[in-house]
Amino acid sequence: MLEACVFATVLFGFFGIVLKRSLVMKIVAMDVMSTGVIAYYVLISARSGLFTPILPGGTEATEQVAYADPVPQAVILTAIVIGFSIQALMLVGVMKLSRNHPTLETDVIEQSTTP
Amino acid sequence: MNTLTIAWIALPFFMGFIIYLIPKLDRVLAMGTALASVAYAMWVIFLPQPIELTLLDNFGVTLFLDSLTGYFILTNALVTVAVLFYCWQTDKSAFFYAQTIILHGSVNAAFACVDFISLYVALEVLSIASFLLIAYPRSDRTIWVGLRYLFVSNVAMLFYLVGAVLVYQASHSFSFAGVREAPPEALALIFLGLLVKGGIFVSGLWLPITHAESDSPVSAMMSGFVVKAGVLPLVRCELLVSELDPIIRAFGVATAVLGVFYAVFEKDAKRMLAFHTVSQLGFILAAPEVGGFYALTHGLVKAALFLTVGTLPSRNLKELQQMPIATPVWIVLVAASFSISGFPMLSGFGAKALTMKNLVPWQVVGMNLAALGTAISFAKLIFLPHQRDGAVDKDKVKTGFWWAIAVLIGGLVAANLFYIEAYTIANIIKPLATIAVGWVAYFLIFRRISVKLPRLLEQFEHLMGMMSLVLVFLFWAVFAT
Repeated sequence: MLEACVFATVLFGFFGIVLKRSLVMKIVAMDVMSTGVIAYYVLISARSGLFTPILPGGTEATEQVAYADPVPQAVILTAIVIGFSIQALMLVGVMKLSRNHPTLETDVIEQSTTP
Repeated sequence: MNTLTIAWIALPFFMGFIIYLIPKLDRVLAMGTALASVAYAMWVIFLPQPIELTLLDNFGVTLFLDSLTGYFILTNALVTVAVLFYCWQTDKSAFFYAQTIILHGSVNAAFACVDFISLYVALEVLSIASFLLIAYPRSDRTIWVGLRYLFVSNVAMLFYLVGAVLVYQASHSFSFAGVREAPPEALALIFLGLLVKGGIFVSGLWLPITHAESDSPVSAMMSGFVVKAGVLPLVRCELLVSELDPIIRAFGVATAVLGVFYAVFEKDAKRMLAFHTVSQLGFILAAPEVGGFYALTHGLVKAALFLTVGTLPSRNLKELQQMPIATPVWIVLVAASFSISGFPMLSGFGAKALTMKNLVPWQVVGMNLAALGTAISFAKLIFLPHQRDGAVDKDKVKTGFWWAIAVLIGGLVAANLFYIEAYTIANIIKPLATIAVGWVAYFLIFRRISVKLPRLLEQFEHLMGMMSLVLVFLFWAVFAT
């Protein structure tokens, strides 16, 4: 069920990218899509358990606890940072473009910029 | 040995930041880094056995360098050196050099790593650096072209990330070796990401506009080595999992034919070169075992061609027919075009012979067709009129330009040594015949007709839509094997 929701988020994001006409909306849709991907990583790492994988200081683990898998969580942190920096960069580009193309419709920009 | 490898990976990034701090030394530092890479690549190519490195425990970064990687690194390094020479006398700011060297470093990292997450990071750094380089002139057009590139590659990388976590779920590791146990949907998603990044087949149609509209040194870098960062991981996966072999080879042939089909009809010099890059990437994938050498020769040739075409007074080949170009520039064009058509003496010949030897039977027709198309499309450049004091952009043809060309063409001649066995009678006759047929076809047919192929598929929306179609196709292909 949860997995279906996550994939729905990814798909909605992708459809947004294809169907929305404004460049800003496309970027927002891309963000939705990447949120879906991040949620999927969190979901996968929670398959084995929900507990935060931290051993209490100095003690040996005695009881069996269902820990979450830390590897995908650590990895997706990198992807989140990269994702938001790319978005920031894109929005700067969009700001520059908006001076001459206030509506920011991609087909209009495309027509006026490609020879 | 290990320290050397780590130092080599880190050096370009370190230098990139140093250049910001000491802008006066930008060119020297960038050039030093690129030359260090050349030396390192030569060392890797002649290593008796590959280097394997695992940094930081179990889930850390894994690096793998063998002679195949060595060729790709050498391409990267030589093209960077040439581009730096070319830009030496221009008024490019320190920012440009810093980005160039960071781009160089990220491509190196993408070539060296063999786990999906390091590859993801390297590819994303590479997209950002190339976006900044494309948008460097800061005109509306370049910003839009850059944005488009960043958008397409970022969406592709999101699909790739989903594939990567599926691989992890199946094998509890992000390394390429996990592909063997991965479910088919994981493969399809990862391949989509790499195909788009590598500019392969219909998912690579973002490439012509991006490469043609950027500045010539940036186009040279993009076509020379940036797209290959997506191709090498595909080759690696193919070498690990032999069931994927037919899919990769089929994509190779399809790409080679599609790219050359567009290139033959194209009337704009830079766009023709860009389409031709698509087709050459197909050649690399068509025979993955020997792709490294092909990548090297293609990178050098394409960089030389982009730099040279950038100095011509016009991009339109019809207009160029009317105004003779300067003979020295024309000679460079001819040398590079001969190499890429597979004429003996230059290493394009050896690379083509090697690729053709490693094809499986069903590929032969397609690849020969693509080779013929290459000869036809480059006849357009070879038969441009020329005279001693012909038209040329004087601002761009300076000493730096000749140094860059010397590096690239010299590299092409020297690279012959890597595969000297290619020079047999049968091998020599075949490309000569192909070129002859190509030229005849050019004079009889293609010079007269003027067909304008629609650019519909290159529009932004269609690029995205095409991505989903390729994904569906990949699902089907991977399930079928």
